[in-house]
Amino acid sequence: MKFDHPILLRIRAVVLTLVFLLILGLLTRPLEAPAWKRVQAGQPELNLVGMEGALGQGIIVGMLGGFRSIMADFLWLQTNVVWQDRERAKLDSMVRLVTSIDPRPVFFWINSARMIAYDVPHWRIQEEGGYQTVPEWRQAAIDREQAEQAFAHIRRALEFHPDNPRLYLEIGQIYLNRLDDPAKAAPWFLRASEQPGSPYFAARIYAELLRRQGKNAQAYDFLKGLFLRLPDDEPYAQKGIILERIRELERTLEITPAEAFNPSRNT
Amino acid sequence: MVAMAESAISIRNLTKDFPVGISGKKLRAVEGLNLDVGDNEIFGLLGPNGSGKSTTIKIVLGLLEPSVGACTIYGKSSRTVAARRSVGFLPEAPYFYRYLSGRELVCYYARLCGVGKAGLAHDVDSVIDLVGMNEAAHRRVGTYSKGMLQRIGLAQAIVHDPQLIILDEPTAGVDPLGAAAIADIIRELKSRGKTILLSSHLLAQIEGLCDRVAILHRGKLVSEGRIDELVAEKQADSFVVEGLEPGGHAAVQKAIEAEGGRLVRVEKPRLSLDAFFLNEVQKRESAHEAAVVEKEDPK
Amino acid sequence: MSFLSPSRIRLIAANTFLEAVRQKFFNSLLFITLALVASSTFFQQFDFGTSELKFIADFGFGALFFFGSILAITVTTQLFFNEIENRTALTMLAKPVHKFDFLAGKLLGVQLLMLAFVCLLSFVLAGILYWRETVLMSQFGPETFSEGRILRYGDILIFGFLQWLKFGLLGAITLFVASFSNTNIYTIIVSFCILVVCQLQYIARDAYGDMEQGVGRLLVQGLGLIFPNFQLFNVGDQLLFTSQEALPAATILRITLYACVYIAGFLLLAHLSFRRREI
Repeated sequence: MKFDHPILLRIRAVVLTLVFLLILGLLTRPLEAPAWKRVQAGQPELNLVGMEGALGQGIIVGMLGGFRSIMADFLWLQTNVVWQDRERAKLDSMVRLVTSIDPRPVFFWINSARMIAYDVPHWRIQEEGGYQTVPEWRQAAIDREQAEQAFAHIRRALEFHPDNPRLYLEIGQIYLNRLDDPAKAAPWFLRASEQPGSPYFAARIYAELLRRQGKNAQAYDFLKGLFLRLPDDEPYAQKGIILERIRELERTLEITPAEAFNPSRNT
Repeated sequence: MVAMAESAISIRNLTKDFPVGISGKKLRAVEGLNLDVGDNEIFGLLGPNGSGKSTTIKIVLGLLEPSVGACTIYGKSSRTVAARRSVGFLPEAPYFYRYLSGRELVCYYARLCGVGKAGLAHDVDSVIDLVGMNEAAHRRVGTYSKGMLQRIGLAQAIVHDPQLIILDEPTAGVDPLGAAAIADIIRELKSRGKTILLSSHLLAQIEGLCDRVAILHRGKLVSEGRIDELVAEKQADSFVVEGLEPGGHAAVQKAIEAEGGRLVRVEKPRLSLDAFFLNEVQKRESAHEAAVVEKEDPK
Repeated sequence: MSFLSPSRIRLIAANTFLEAVRQKFFNSLLFITLALVASSTFFQQFDFGTSELKFIADFGFGALFFFGSILAITVTTQLFFNEIENRTALTMLAKPVHKFDFLAGKLLGVQLLMLAFVCLLSFVLAGILYWRETVLMSQFGPETFSEGRILRYGDILIFGFLQWLKFGLLGAITLFVASFSNTNIYTIIVSFCILVVCQLQYIARDAYGDMEQGVGRLLVQGLGLIFPNFQLFNVGDQLLFTSQEALPAATILRITLYACVYIAGFLLLAHLSFRRREI
């Protein structure tokens, strides 16, 4: 029987092509696998559970197909529009969508936390009648609710960015600025100051918060240690201001000159 | 069939089938073709549309593979790229890259054929001169007329000095003057020792140009040989007579019958329409050119 | 008269490039892409701070990726079929030119075009990023930029280079499809389908690990081997910012070799298919 019928010839060609590509795939695996491992490490897993309804098919394919960053960017722009329109419920879902699609930019987490903690309480109070009408206890309750939501949001961010000082700072600032709770804010400023690349002011604010709580001795010890750790040639370290604070605390704690902190002796 | 010491083209038992769809049916384009094209001759390939001329030419050029049989060019299999070093080809209704000038186009093909940089400029200039495209060579091919395209096409076919030149309908769509110019170029190429295989529907041109022809019909060779031998009425002779008195016709007829012959017909000898047209036009062209020269220089 | 003649391939490539840059489609798409990248300056309206640079980079990389992929497929298809339909392929292949040299020359010509596209876009993007970073540096002061600029401009070129390799692979795949296809439109559609599969094949590989033994697992494993992994080239979101770890040179080299092997493989397939094609 002659094997030259056009259909059989085509089937043969297709099979041979697939076999060739299969072999090529196997041969290039030693090259591709380590490279893919490295590339994949930089692309966190997508967590789309519960999101499929919010996402269209096109968006899913687009994200999976290599447009993840740009999809998140465009959805963030949409989030800004939603924020401008003060659509609370939609803001909540948009924020979760953006950070689920691309949890890598800290920018998304921090800005969305700020929207939740700072802007939404203001909207809710306005919805309930305004600052003149809504009693203070109710305003405080709303602030606390929104702050807790923002904290939960930032805790999710810390799963992806455990070493980022800005996230710790954000929690501290919400406690301090929205909830007026220096006792709860202080530990977060401390943790922020302990992260790599932390801004110098984090430690200074921690010391100041200790002082506000009346923990002068603790503040004094902390500032002394801080002063010795900080580099001399870094203007942002503001060692002069730290030394001033140390001297103020020495006066408050009535520390004698003999016992006073001497930077040159203690280095 | 004429056997040569080494044929330019030698085709043996060539058959070509084309598959039709995926049903397994085949269309036979050429069947059992045996043909030789001798060295340094102009060979015409004739036949109606669908007779297998283009298929045969493509097989000679290695662009198609035969289903059965073989073809060689100066002893080398036509399926090898090396065989094409000795071949130049002008396709039917040629189309070239419109954005290149005529010279750039010929240069491009010359370099593709392996013409070295040392002799490139000289080779390109000489073929452009041969085809009479000196004045238009700097212009883009997109601005060329049909006749100019054929001539630049001829230039690209011969720039690498091939021994065998294949021309597919070289004068199709070209006016008689242009066609005559191309015919002159073909004769010039023959005088330089080249072999030319040309395929054409214009039988009058073939007749005036080719040494031998082959006629294909439905993929089969039906006739082949020298034109004089093919078209001659073998059983008759013709005498062309001048100055015969009207009454002399009867005497001539009587003399012929006395020798055992039979006068078949008496008619006026004819020039071909091509030749008549060329005569008339060329006469007037020469007169016009003379008038222009006289006007510019009354002395 | 050797097979794989570099000088012939270069000649055909140069002519292909000349033909390609004259194509209206290429010029239109280039203009659109450049306009889109330039329009990314619109992000400054949102006052995102230094994150504006991320938006511009994502936008620029996305435009390069998206439009470059369209261009690679359509230009390769158009240039190939122009030769077939105008029968310039006939004139060329009647010369002592191997069919492989013809295909390689076509592919190289398209790659030269893509190189011009990638270079132009990369430089425009780098220019916009440099300008915006300079403005932001003066706006936010030295503390935000205490360690100097926050962008690694060399990474733009790395991304451009990897995308250029991917376009070459896409071109080789398109050429393979064109070698047995009869029409432009079929070639373009099939090539786009293959692009999508290659872009998403990594999902099949990830899923393979979770599947039970059986035909399904075998098929998924086969899919992951047969189609090249295009997601490997989409490293744009891991490049550029100094706060991120640079992509190791070894990884870039592996990706480059991977692309080169696949390009050669598809070119070979295209040759084997085109050899039998009757022009």
